[in-house]
Amino acid sequence: MTSGRDPILRTVAVGAFFLVNVFAVYLLLRGHNAPGGGFIGGLATAISLVLLMLAFGPERAGRFLPIEPIRLAAGGLLLAALSGWAPALFGRPFLEQFTEYVTLPILGKTALGTPLLFDTGVYLLVVGIGSKLGFTLANSTLLGRALSPEDQARFASAVETPIEDTAPVGLDTRDQEPRN
Amino acid sequence: MNALPALLLLAVFLPLLAAPLMALAGRRLGPSTGWLALGVPAACGLALLAVAIQVGPQPNLVVRWPWAPSLGLELAFLVDGLSLFFGLIVTGMGFLIVFYARAYLDDHYRHHGRFYAYLLLFMTAMLGTVFADNLLLLFVFWELTGLASFLLIGFSHATESSRRGARMALLVTGGTGLCLLAGVILVRQLTGTFDLQTLLRAPLVGTDRSLTTAAMVLMLVGALGKSAQFPFHFWLPNAMAAPTPVSAYLHSATMVKLGVFLCARLFPLFSNNEWWAPMLSGIAFFTMTFAAILALLSTDLKALLAYSTISQLGFLIGYYGLATRGEIEYDYLHILNHVFYKGGLFMVVGIIDHATGTRDIRLLGGLARRDPGLAVLTAVLCATMAGLPLTTGFISKEVMLKEIFHAPAAFGGLGMFALVCVLITSVAKVMFSAHLFVQVFLGRESAAVIDHFHRPSRMLLLPPALLAVAALVLGVMPGLAVSPIRYLDVAGLHLPAAVPLALWHGLNRELLVSTGIVALGAAVYFAVNRVGWNWVRLPRWSRFDLAFDVLVDGISSAAKVITRAVGSDSPLHYLKIVLTFTVVLVGGSLLWNFNSSVGKLIEEFPVRVSEHAFEPLRALSALLIALTTLGAVFLRRWTTRLISLSLAGFLTTFFYVLYRAPDLALTQVLVETISLVLVLLLLGRFPRTAEECEEEDRGFSPRKIYAAVLAVLTGTLMTTLMLLVTAWPSSKPMGPDFLQMTRPLAKGDNAVNTILIDFRGFDTLGEITVLLVATLGCLGLFLRYRRTATEWKQAEKGPPGFGVHHGEEKS
Repeated sequence: MTSGRDPILRTVAVGAFFLVNVFAVYLLLRGHNAPGGGFIGGLATAISLVLLMLAFGPERAGRFLPIEPIRLAAGGLLLAALSGWAPALFGRPFLEQFTEYVTLPILGKTALGTPLLFDTGVYLLVVGIGSKLGFTLANSTLLGRALSPEDQARFASAVETPIEDTAPVGLDTRDQEPRN
Repeated sequence: MNALPALLLLAVFLPLLAAPLMALAGRRLGPSTGWLALGVPAACGLALLAVAIQVGPQPNLVVRWPWAPSLGLELAFLVDGLSLFFGLIVTGMGFLIVFYARAYLDDHYRHHGRFYAYLLLFMTAMLGTVFADNLLLLFVFWELTGLASFLLIGFSHATESSRRGARMALLVTGGTGLCLLAGVILVRQLTGTFDLQTLLRAPLVGTDRSLTTAAMVLMLVGALGKSAQFPFHFWLPNAMAAPTPVSAYLHSATMVKLGVFLCARLFPLFSNNEWWAPMLSGIAFFTMTFAAILALLSTDLKALLAYSTISQLGFLIGYYGLATRGEIEYDYLHILNHVFYKGGLFMVVGIIDHATGTRDIRLLGGLARRDPGLAVLTAVLCATMAGLPLTTGFISKEVMLKEIFHAPAAFGGLGMFALVCVLITSVAKVMFSAHLFVQVFLGRESAAVIDHFHRPSRMLLLPPALLAVAALVLGVMPGLAVSPIRYLDVAGLHLPAAVPLALWHGLNRELLVSTGIVALGAAVYFAVNRVGWNWVRLPRWSRFDLAFDVLVDGISSAAKVITRAVGSDSPLHYLKIVLTFTVVLVGGSLLWNFNSSVGKLIEEFPVRVSEHAFEPLRALSALLIALTTLGAVFLRRWTTRLISLSLAGFLTTFFYVLYRAPDLALTQVLVETISLVLVLLLLGRFPRTAEECEEEDRGFSPRKIYAAVLAVLTGTLMTTLMLLVTAWPSSKPMGPDFLQMTRPLAKGDNAVNTILIDFRGFDTLGEITVLLVATLGCLGLFLRYRRTATEWKQAEKGPPGFGVHHGEEKS
């Protein structure tokens, strides 16, 4: 694995980042009528973020994604759920979808409405989850530490014991010194 | 008349709306949140009184709002005598309890806001249950009372007994509640309606006899579980871990009476069934006697009261079992009488506990000298429990005896059984009432009293005193109760013509027997007292709760044993188990039906092959996929194997394109990319030596041969399945329907997306929720994987870790 010092990789990564994300947003917006949608759009963006992070090193991950990815994912879930609840305010069933067509400059005829909101929620969720997992794995490989202390406080319970302490099945313990 | 729905809605849902307010206010106000909470039951009670006055005598009225019409669920409330009676008890008792709790929950307790929030949540659940007209709605509120009870029993969740009691109550009442649900669904299957009023108007006529009986039994199991009848009785004494106001409110006055309420509700519906009387009165009268004897043997004051509650609930339920249709007279009187003395006595026990620091009857004594007021109050309540004259207990017992003397004539052996049970229980009741009063208030002052006693706040005395006064007033002038009871009569349940109540009925059989019971109870009590009570304890065989604990713990320890047996840290191990089972089960079933599945396939194979022309493009990509897969197995370096596997995935995309599925192709490419990146990152975690170790390990071993055979078998099985599925596709594929509907219904051209977002939107919402939750779980696992110092020294051969504490432990 590179340690994020390669100038060629950096330049390519930045270029690819913009290209991929334009494509990702395009996929998201046209998803209602043509191949595309929030899920694959989100995957594309997440991949581009991981690429950027690999090129610049995991220390700088926070700089190009200034928001905690899990928050992004939770926000996406909230958006999707709210877009489902919105019809209930007008006495319509949960998750009933409403679509209106408008003509936009580059995209042409585009479907706007609750499906787009819902799909945007899916997009944000996938971006958040994909980049969080990518960042965490890269951290564990390149920095030797999967989660920062803040993350540790956020995602782990203080009273939990490490798995290896409670279930040493499958570990090769034959030639270990006895623990004390 | 127009204000009525609004008033009813206010009464039922005001506590629910006020509950979060209490939780918020509790942080600021602390113990004085009680003053704020006091307004809620008061307002609800007044609203219910207004409703009762507006609807007039013998009301029968339904107020409804649609809720989820597609499920047949609507917010329908039935206002009749029964629901108003229970509603007024819930709010009236709720007022007293909140007042009592405000003084009781002093600085010893924390989270006052939370307490009142739970209490108000419970109040809404209770009111919803008694007023529900829709059986499904009734079930929803019914389970909500169980949930509120769980939260309140476990209120002091730091203590083990609270958690145990809460868990037990939830499992027992929740489990029996599911029986109720099954019964409700059966009734709907039989009659086509959840509507109570419709059902009551035309009781189950012409429906299948055995199914009706099944529905009845299921619903009654729900009632018996809620009212802690044998064999479910064990949860109630354990629920006494709750703070005393909760015990007084939920576990004596209101929630446990829901079983009684349900029996009264279902009475017109099922009382003609031949199983109704034997099931209800058989179980209930047995429970009554059994629990009365256990009450006598209890040493904890609250357990004593809990068993006596179970006993009294047994009587109330058995009472409906032995009644004749439309001839019930004084069930309200019995219920009211029990609310008076049991609610009052629980509050008194709370005061004693507060003042002396113990509830053990053996450690108490001589309290009368310290607090004469409390002694007089308890004396009145105990007299009511024992059924002495001038109290409602006496009136209730007179009526009870009069009714039960008719039972043997009407019900034969069952009636005789009931009569014997009632007589034994009445004697036992006199005994434990005397036991409670004499042991705690008379005699020498005990060490606990001398060391700990401090005078309880007078505020605490007010609510039980009010209940005692009510018991006395109605006991002296029982005629006062008659007209309100008649006002709340229910057709099909109660006898319309009033039989007047009076203190003095003349010298008749009931009076003589009543006197005999009191005399016998007192005589036996003092005889036992002479021997002393030290030998008294609950017999071990009666402790059903211990057996229940064994059962519940057994489930988790069985799970642990299985997990230990098959568990491993290596995912490969699980893969082997799963694949072995798949091959054996699915492959076995295919071989079992060989002729109709695989045999037929082989037979038709030449014909099918000849139908398709040879396509070089597809053949080439299939060949490439096969090659890359072989590469994943036989290449040396991990990274190259991974990339080879990934290539196979990318090449699959080609087929999606050939079959014109661009969405799938796009998704496949992107998923393949991100999984490649993630696994590559993960591989970087392994030291080179780990890979080299595996190199040395080349060669054959039984483990490896097994894995290879399993892999080949799994591959063969999947191929066969694929061929089978495509050879005989399902009769009606769903695709064309979705393709047709995507434009008119979802206004979109891309059917894949409209299915995901619109037709199956709820599924997608669920899936993305799972995705987020799974990620959080992943992050937790990354953290939990930590090596000890010794393992770190051997890191080169060890499994990859996401070490968080490496730095500290390395040294």
